[in-house]
Amino acid sequence: MESRNEFEPKIVAFLCNWCSYAGADLAGTSRMQYPQNVRIIRVPCSGRVDPLFVVKAFQDGADGVMVLGCHPGDCHYQQGNYFAQRRYALMHRLLEFTGIESDRLFVEWVSASEGKKFAQVVTNFTEKVRALGPAAIKSARRAQPVREVACGETLQEVSA
Amino acid sequence: MSSVEQQIRDAARQYLENGVYCVTGYERGPRGKVRPAFIYQASDVDRLVWGPECDLNLVNYVHQFKQPLRRGEPPPKVAVVVRPCDARAINLLVHEQQIKRENVKAIGVACTGATPGDPERQACQVCHERVPVTYDTLVQAEGEAGAPPAQDNYTDIVDMENWTPRQRLDYWLKEFDRCIRCYACRQACPGCYCFECVAEQVDPHWTSIALELPEKYFFHVMRAFHLAGRCVACDACEAACPMDIPLSQLNRKLAKEVEALFGYHTGEDPEKAPPLTTFNPAERLPL
Repeated sequence: MESRNEFEPKIVAFLCNWCSYAGADLAGTSRMQYPQNVRIIRVPCSGRVDPLFVVKAFQDGADGVMVLGCHPGDCHYQQGNYFAQRRYALMHRLLEFTGIESDRLFVEWVSASEGKKFAQVVTNFTEKVRALGPAAIKSARRAQPVREVACGETLQEVSA
Repeated sequence: MSSVEQQIRDAARQYLENGVYCVTGYERGPRGKVRPAFIYQASDVDRLVWGPECDLNLVNYVHQFKQPLRRGEPPPKVAVVVRPCDARAINLLVHEQQIKRENVKAIGVACTGATPGDPERQACQVCHERVPVTYDTLVQAEGEAGAPPAQDNYTDIVDMENWTPRQRLDYWLKEFDRCIRCYACRQACPGCYCFECVAEQVDPHWTSIALELPEKYFFHVMRAFHLAGRCVACDACEAACPMDIPLSQLNRKLAKEVEALFGYHTGEDPEKAPPLTTFNPAERLPL
């Protein structure tokens, strides 16, 4: 059993339905071991992964984000991963510039037959994020959420 | 009266007498400040003024004239007074099929390089264009020798790149903390013309309207990224910001990377597609 205080990174992975999700499935059915830190979200294509999703994941407390898609040339929709490639080449640099280490965003091509590669990249990425520690952007979140005021509550009760 | 002003008025009169529905320029308001003016009649052209404080991107207002005035008619022709930086936005909107070039008459004012209004304005310090890339009428000031065009080496951006990520995060969180989410940056931008902005979308509800730091961070990073490869570097967003958030640094960072990765300059050529709207199967970018 690991100690309660040890940092377990939260990782959000966007997997393309046609390659990487099947690759993850293969890793599972082949009983390969990979860290449980990864939370998989299935998307139709890596081109569907708006950079908005990545920022949103960080905003909501992710320590790392993975975007996995088909190898260039293998996209089910012919070109989605090419768009994703351009987008994420820029997004890496913008995240780095605004203070989220670019190592926290990982983009890779994993095909349906690469269950082993899937397990490998998830393990490597989890260890990398574990070494980086919790994402600093999380410290921006107010510790005490703003409480909703109930109907009929007086000002004294609210500020108490 | 400066001759630039007279030339703008002459051009406006000529356009209005030849089928242009509206001329967008500047006029002086009741308290002496300049404000956008929409001139519909040739008899009103004398309201138009020009001066160093005219520092909005008026191309933003052509979005109001994209729809036909009456059903079945083509959209109206409009004319707009532009500086070199604003003219790049015309090329951007033409490429994105928001406007037809022949429907928008550009009254281009050659820039002297003197910073309009705000001497600290970053865009003007590194601007290398004196004549608009596209125009229908060129207005030139007589006998005014402009400042020599600057070379943009992105020195301020490179400086920030040498900080640690934590320093940069702290810097941006401090800057974004002032944001009151008035969206003035978005409203001032000719490139921000979505009917429904992600910042205000309710379904899906990407981000709340809370004035919390993560939400502000989300808004500013997304605003910058939506303009990646599309920002024309007019700095209208930063000028519009009531809280003085250095938005131009985000835009310039992306411009720097777009230039390095794709060799693309926004608005230079209406035929060239912004890099994120196209791809090259042969390229392998560092991810």
